Amino acid sequence: MRREFLVVALLLVLLMPAPAQDSGTQLKPFGRGSWQELMKAHAGRPTIVHFWGVTCGPCKVELPQLGAFMKDHPGIDIVTISADFVPDLPAATRAMLERSGLALAENWIFDGFADRLRFEIDPTWQGDIPRTLLITREGEMTTIEGSAEIADLAQWTARQLAAKK
Amino acid sequence: MFRMKLIAITVFVVWQGCAHAQMHHQHTSEAACDEPALRCASKVTPTFGPDGTLWLAWMAGGKISVASSRDAGKSFLTPVAATPERLNLDWGPDARPKIAIDRKGGIALAFSIFRDKAFNGQVLYTRSDDGGKSFATPRPITASKESQRFETIGFDNNGVLFAAWLDKRNRVPAQQAGKKYEGAALFFASSTDGGGTYSEARMAIDNTCECCRVELAFDPSNHPVVVFRNIFESGIRDHAVITFADAAKPGAPRRISVDDWQIAACPHHGPSLAISAGGTYHVTWFTNGKARKGLFYAHSRDGGKSFSAPLAIGQAKRNPSRPFVLAGPHGTVLVWKEFDGEKTTVNLMTSGDDGETWTKPRSVAETSDTSDHPLLVTDGRRTYLSWMTKADGYRFIPIEDES
Repeated sequence: MRREFLVVALLLVLLMPAPAQDSGTQLKPFGRGSWQELMKAHAGRPTIVHFWGVTCGPCKVELPQLGAFMKDHPGIDIVTISADFVPDLPAATRAMLERSGLALAENWIFDGFADRLRFEIDPTWQGDIPRTLLITREGEMTTIEGSAEIADLAQWTARQLAAKK
Repeated sequence: MFRMKLIAITVFVVWQGCAHAQMHHQHTSEAACDEPALRCASKVTPTFGPDGTLWLAWMAGGKISVASSRDAGKSFLTPVAATPERLNLDWGPDARPKIAIDRKGGIALAFSIFRDKAFNGQVLYTRSDDGGKSFATPRPITASKESQRFETIGFDNNGVLFAAWLDKRNRVPAQQAGKKYEGAALFFASSTDGGGTYSEARMAIDNTCECCRVELAFDPSNHPVVVFRNIFESGIRDHAVITFADAAKPGAPRRISVDDWQIAACPHHGPSLAISAGGTYHVTWFTNGKARKGLFYAHSRDGGKSFSAPLAIGQAKRNPSRPFVLAGPHGTVLVWKEFDGEKTTVNLMTSGDDGETWTKPRSVAETSDTSDHPLLVTDGRRTYLSWMTKADGYRFIPIEDES
């Protein structure tokens, strides 16, 4: 009986969708109140929040650059939020994060009424992506519309880390 | 043996469950359900036939379906699936199926699918010759294998079907030549058999924005006129209009407004165009440029050569979006969405003097969850708002004459 249980367990594991078991890339559902939760969790820490989406051409170019940036700058919190207009695709989102070296970033995906989710983050944001927010230790926020220059992120990060006591 | 069967069944059920969950999630977040029915639609496009029949084409459950109404949307005949197989339809926010009815009641459809895992698009078309009872097998509008999206179609007064779309076929050759390639190109074709076959695709302009809807209208002299978000020098994504000399000859692009929106991103927010009987071009659009931010309206009374100063629309603090303009039988009508943090409203204003002055905006519909863009349509006698909502279903509302 125990052996059969093991066979079932093994088969179940083998047949699970690949992204769920191979990668371990966590994709948290971003719903109502998630923005406040996220802000609270990163309070007092310099954080880069990057909004992107699987169907956005410029995002495909920028995402691997951000992955390389994260590797080079371990002292900064990197958060990605897939904010492609609904419906979103968790499997494609995970795959693109993994290919971009962002599997270990804090990754979220919009889940629900996108207009309301965007409104919680910035009432004037119409949904254009990519979009990057630079949030200082003091909570000051700078918005970069469109693709960010990685050199700008590096300079900002250097300033933030230099200000660290 | 029995136990092994049990194991196999268990495994199969779990695997199916995972697959279903993945597919289900793709569609439920913006639609109320995942069947081809109208109530499950995420995008609904209306048009009136020459006999006054209202036709809808919608995207639901992975299919494009069509239904007609003889009583202005109060009831619909049994829908017909124009695409029998479940497809990976382009669900981008500015994508939607397009429908046009010719003088004999033939129905032309065009829509986009995602052709691969990289979300490259393909424009497909089909036609019904039997009043919507059946549709031909969908075919690609061009043989090119590069990405195409955001098609638009319309019949001119002579029954020629004109089509335009955004096409990325110039990207690879440019990159192979070591050049940077931005955006997409505006391509066009036409059909003299009502959308049964199309002429070879030709380019009107290269390096347009690649992710916003393209809108088509015909001027009183039957020239196709197309508005689109262009990419001007230094990556400025402002709007332009092209008036075609005929269905095969694009004119020069004219800038509608210098908004100065420099952005390397997908705004996912295209313009709307209507042309009045007198030939005035009415254009409305969204920008987040240095010169202005929000929704705007402008008109041209010289065939798109020059435009009036942009008029701001809506309440800036309520995130006005998705504007649509129609030159109706009783004046020009403009609708757009506003969001107050909880509910979305459709707001409307009208002009009785061809866009010179406008009524005070008023709210005509609202919903508390995801909704499609608000659209306007006319049968030549009345103007109607067409609006698909997740929470409240499909709305088809006559607009009272205010002018």
